[in-house]
Amino acid sequence: MNIIIEGIKEAFRLIFSLDAEVFEVVLLSLRVSLTSLLVAGMLGIFLGILIAKYRFPMKHLLMRLIYTLMGMPPVLCGLLVYIFFMRRGPLGSLRLNYTVTIMIIAQILMILPIITGLTINAAGEKQDKINRLAKTLGAGPLQTMELFLFELRGGLVVALVSGFSRAISEVGAVMIVGGNIDGKTRVMTTYISQLKGMGEYERALAVGIILLIISFAVNTILYHFQREKSG
Amino acid sequence: MKIEVEKLKKTYQGVMVLNIDRLTIKAGKITAIVGPNGAGKSTLLNLIAELIQKDDGKIWYNGEEKVPVKDITLVFQEPYLIASTVKKNIAYPMKLRNYSKEAIETKIQRLSMELRLEPLLNKKANQLSLGEVQKVALARALSFEPKLLLLDEPCASIDPYTTSEIEKMLMKMNQSEGTTMVMVTHNLAQARRLADEVVLLKKGKLVECCSSEQFFMHPENEETKLFVEGELLI
Repeated sequence: MNIIIEGIKEAFRLIFSLDAEVFEVVLLSLRVSLTSLLVAGMLGIFLGILIAKYRFPMKHLLMRLIYTLMGMPPVLCGLLVYIFFMRRGPLGSLRLNYTVTIMIIAQILMILPIITGLTINAAGEKQDKINRLAKTLGAGPLQTMELFLFELRGGLVVALVSGFSRAISEVGAVMIVGGNIDGKTRVMTTYISQLKGMGEYERALAVGIILLIISFAVNTILYHFQREKSG
Repeated sequence: MKIEVEKLKKTYQGVMVLNIDRLTIKAGKITAIVGPNGAGKSTLLNLIAELIQKDDGKIWYNGEEKVPVKDITLVFQEPYLIASTVKKNIAYPMKLRNYSKEAIETKIQRLSMELRLEPLLNKKANQLSLGEVQKVALARALSFEPKLLLLDEPCASIDPYTTSEIEKMLMKMNQSEGTTMVMVTHNLAQARRLADEVVLLKKGKLVECCSSEQFFMHPENEETKLFVEGELLI
């Protein structure tokens, strides 16, 4: 219990003292996760709407595959990306392992199925009605896509929040491809893992609390955006 | 807008649900499509609106085979309203057609006055009753003055007062704008009140297409007689 109280105290001390090491880690975490969210969000929502909107062969098989990938362990995702980009791997010549870029790629691949799957799910029974409405009122393809985005906004925010939460909180993938290099690829989750290994539980807990506060802030912004659009 | 149908066929899972050799819907008239359940009424409407694909045959819109998507619309029995205000719903098709803000505002005022929607303009779609939803859907459909208005049982499950308001609006639009209307209905009294022409379908086939007066007063076809007398149930 004492460790938890000390952890909370330490969290506030780190925030208010603007601890340089912690802020560097926090900023990198945000950079990696928000960039992944931006790319996977645009791609996932677009793919999700297309899959929900159109009928095509093997659609249900594709959907089952996406739903399966939604639960892929981050460490496996990290391992696959690592193998692809290691020196002997098919994309080894790019020399991306242990860089921020590869961490972003790993997180995009990890959250893309989550955002796509939840978008398909959000479209659910509504997609036929939205399609019919768009068609009967004379909407073109882009206007139909815009209508889908507007009508599904609640579900899309949930998809984005889930994607971001997964990205910011995972440790397995970024640890494998990034390597937790101090000042280069160290993010909050890998830092927590390292601090735990060093026995610095209060500091580890403090970073965890900061991670939760950031996650809460980003989710609040997204929900606020959703409510504004509804009004 | 004149609609001509020729050798139109539609099957669902191997079952022929519509098979019409020839049918003409006159421009500027209100045509009611009647018939027992499973007659293919809604299928015909959906094929005209190209919401479903035909298996065979042709449909001409004023002599053209291409569907004039910007000039036709369909109002469903249970319309889907955009999850926003009544005002935004009515404005939506006009925005798609790049109407000016002033034109949109004027049109909303006029339609909401005629359909008594003024107190509802700022209400959210999910706060409306069934009858109100139907009136908003109708106002939205009429806002861009379509040349062809398709209605799939627009007054089913709504009260007689709202039904009367909707019927008056349809008559007015038909007379003032010359809008061609095709309405599927189970309500023969409504068909008699509104329609210039009546089409009777049974098991996907055309039984009769004639003027409303002939249909109700001097039906020639034996099945039409039975239907009007309420005895043709299947």
